[in-house]
Amino acid sequence: MPSTDPVIRLENVTQRFRVIHERPDTVRELFSKLFRNRSSYHDFEAVKNVSFDVPHGQAVGIIGRNGSGKSTLLKIIAGVYRPSKGTVTVNGTLAPLIELGAGFHHELTGRENILLNGLLMGYSKRDMMERQQAIIDFAEIGEFIDAPVKQYSSGMYMRLAFAVAIEVDPQILVLDEILAVGDMGFQQKCFERIRRFRESGKTILLVTHNMADVHEHCDRAILIDHGSLIVDGHADEAIAMYKTLLTPEVVAAH
Amino acid sequence: MTQLIHDSYRYRELIWALAIKELKIRYKRSVLGFMWALLNPAFMMLVLTLVFSTIMRFNIPHYAIFLLSVLLPWTFFSQSLSYAVESIVTNGDLIKKVAIPKMVFPMAAVVSNIINLLLSLIPLALLVPLLRHPFYWTWFYLPVPLLALAIFTLGMTFFFAAANVYYRDVSHILQVVLSAWFYLTPIIYPLDAIPARYQWLLKLNPIIYVINGFRLSVYYGQLPKAPSILASFACAFISLFIGFSIFRKYQNNFVFYV
Repeated sequence: MPSTDPVIRLENVTQRFRVIHERPDTVRELFSKLFRNRSSYHDFEAVKNVSFDVPHGQAVGIIGRNGSGKSTLLKIIAGVYRPSKGTVTVNGTLAPLIELGAGFHHELTGRENILLNGLLMGYSKRDMMERQQAIIDFAEIGEFIDAPVKQYSSGMYMRLAFAVAIEVDPQILVLDEILAVGDMGFQQKCFERIRRFRESGKTILLVTHNMADVHEHCDRAILIDHGSLIVDGHADEAIAMYKTLLTPEVVAAH
Repeated sequence: MTQLIHDSYRYRELIWALAIKELKIRYKRSVLGFMWALLNPAFMMLVLTLVFSTIMRFNIPHYAIFLLSVLLPWTFFSQSLSYAVESIVTNGDLIKKVAIPKMVFPMAAVVSNIINLLLSLIPLALLVPLLRHPFYWTWFYLPVPLLALAIFTLGMTFFFAAANVYYRDVSHILQVVLSAWFYLTPIIYPLDAIPARYQWLLKLNPIIYVINGFRLSVYYGQLPKAPSILASFACAFISLFIGFSIFRKYQNNFVFYV
């Protein structure tokens, strides 16, 4: 029986970055900085005081303009960044799809990369061995699986990366702008898989600029702008608000 | 420190896979592949033996074995450091995308070089009878100095890998430090080649205690004395404690600097 506790809980999360205009990268620059006694930086809040809960089994779209803080938010949830303020609680295994194939090494074969990528996501060797065939089948890689991935076409590369992330069967799937993977046939297969993933009561976070995907796949959407949460509600409500945000930009562009 | 043991155990498969990846990539696309891990030290030994038995003659019998018994562990030390110092920076893309403990990267660099060191001991073991040097039972003592050396090296790699994230000069400074350190350590010369009034200086060089066990057991057929063994492990654990404490303190900020 699923617990009533939220799977993901963010409380007053703020992520601050120090943007250093001329970062002293070497010791020489450090010394020259010290003597000139001038440090030029400004603090930038990519995510400002964001709080929300995601209950078990919900599909949530996260939308917003470029640079609004969506990816930073995902990285906080995935544990890549430790937030400057606030707390993040994640219950359950999480497969981050933040940029597919981040853990792939070009010289290694597809098979070797499946294992390495799985280990990087925190799965055991045994888990990965059990899933290996399913991953290869889903990715439709065929005999290329034993060739180094640098010989793969970009489509094959992406399909393999997607297959690894979805076949490890996480409790939470985080998808960042990756549904443009492969041809129409493969996309259909991905959506089919995501649908089954939802039906089995798992949680999905979807970041995309394609509002049709949000409308179709998400129960709920969160709109972020300039790092702040603007709308948290029904997908269509957030989409409508997002469109009004875009309008002045479009007008200004003409 | 318990954190380190806990994480090393929990991520043992990942550390091992990264170490193997390192070796695979090093020997990929070469016809002889993994054999190079054996051939490299073997050829080096051949050259050293020829040079020191015909051209530059020291009054140290079987100089090649005298030298190699500590040169191989030194090579492990300096190679591990040279690899590990860049390990966080080169894996920056990964660190920015996946939540993984950063310690796996310096750790994997050390593990892959341990494998190399163990492989290079094979040609050394073959060279010993070839030069008619006695094969001492004290070879079986080698796991002890190996352990001390691995711990000592690991501590140093944590420190340098963390420092290099903030200042990229560190990897260049490291090369200077390593070459000075090499000549300040009795590797190509014996301990007593240093004048008596400077002997106290040697006592300040921590790696001597760690490396000494190798020469004693392989070349002299002796075991180090208890205080020397204690000193080697004391140096090893001090290095690990300092290195890991610094690494741990800064690791959550690495992602902002890589």
